[in-house]
Amino acid sequence: MNPEGAEPQGRALAAFTVELEVYSGPYEGLLALILKEELEIFEVPLRELVALYRGFCSPHGQTKETLDALERDTDFVDSATSLVLMKGRALDPALGAEEEEDDEEISPQELEERLVAYLKVRRGAEALMQRFAENAGFYPSGHSLRPRSGRLRLNQKKLAAAARRAFLRTAEPEVEHLGPITVTVQELAAMIRTSLSYGPLSFEDLVRDMDRLRSAVAFAATLSLASEGRLTLSQPEPFGPLTLELPR
Amino acid sequence: MNGRKHEDIPKPLKTVTSPAAALPEAAAKIEAILLVSSRPVSLPALLSATGLPKSKARAAIEELERRYSPENSGIVLRRVAGGFQFATNPLYAEAIERFREEARPAPLSGAAHEVLSCVLYLGPLTRAGVRAARGVNSDAVVRGLIDRNLLAETGWDQNRPGTPALLDVTEDFLLAAGARSRDDFPILEELVEETEISRVRERIRGVAGEREGEAHEKGDEN
Repeated sequence: MNPEGAEPQGRALAAFTVELEVYSGPYEGLLALILKEELEIFEVPLRELVALYRGFCSPHGQTKETLDALERDTDFVDSATSLVLMKGRALDPALGAEEEEDDEEISPQELEERLVAYLKVRRGAEALMQRFAENAGFYPSGHSLRPRSGRLRLNQKKLAAAARRAFLRTAEPEVEHLGPITVTVQELAAMIRTSLSYGPLSFEDLVRDMDRLRSAVAFAATLSLASEGRLTLSQPEPFGPLTLELPR
Repeated sequence: MNGRKHEDIPKPLKTVTSPAAALPEAAAKIEAILLVSSRPVSLPALLSATGLPKSKARAAIEELERRYSPENSGIVLRRVAGGFQFATNPLYAEAIERFREEARPAPLSGAAHEVLSCVLYLGPLTRAGVRAARGVNSDAVVRGLIDRNLLAETGWDQNRPGTPALLDVTEDFLLAAGARSRDDFPILEELVEETEISRVRERIRGVAGEREGEAHEKGDEN
């Protein structure tokens, strides 16, 4: 990324620094902190990180070599993808559950069944290997037939039904019962952040005086802020009180 | 126009003769069709193209099989993947490879054969199903087999979250294995001897017993 040699080779992102609420410094340092679990992944606003990277790229794009830029972009996408995955797992433990299954202790009976099934598959593979070897060396004619046209049999009724479906204008969904939408997620997100500056807040208190629509939008705003790491949510019991607070 | 008289234009032959031996017209027709197809041609497709009755077509195919047997010819007639296919005699594969300046495709790895075996015998299977059967992640192997057209995604498992793709073996797989259909493979149960299965079971029970004994000993110590 650096033809002048200011950056060591193999560290395409060495010059990228970030200014986030939870961290300020080189991007590589941020990655190191996350990997060492010294910084919670869900506290890192990934969207903001991508925006910072795009800002970092734009002045360089004019002057740097394309290949260097490609290498840098690849490194960033690679690390950002890992961060998204880690964050996804942190926010949705069910995603990591599948892998944890492997570590589960399985009963000797189950292990027995699995191994017997595998043994059969293994023997099947050996038989296939022999069969493939016996049938190697047959070369077919070099002629390739063109795709067959005109062999499609059309059922007139089915064609008419498909045409009706294709040209049918989908009915507009009824929205009258929703009433005018008078509030946005952004507005409520700003309101929640202001409220949180006075201390932790229960979601029930937050929406006490709100109507159904505003409550729903407030919930969406809460989830959005939580996913960006701008607040933390805690709910000790399922269906129990939901508490919002600023990240520590 | 070009000086060629009308009577010079060759007329279609009523019967086909060759210097070696006369081939019945039905067999010659089928021979011609198979020559221009690199893929196996099914019997219905042959009947449709030639207009022959089934019995006559079958007799013609048998005639062709005799003529194009590995003992008699450099070309062989194969019954594979639900159809008939002309291919070169494997005895001359090396000469063909030298002529075409092509190396024979590298043989598949043991892992690839295992994945194919899983899909053939237990399939159609999702990638997770393959992984469960082999006990290891096989996504990269599956990708390679899809690239080689030996496996294909043929549907979706509607009963699983995310409706993952179902993998199945392809026509090219049957060709590579020289099989007429999926039914042309030995039954999985026949491939493993009962004594071998008993040995595996005993071994696992032995290890489980040892572990249980160790656990009891530790419990006694505590």
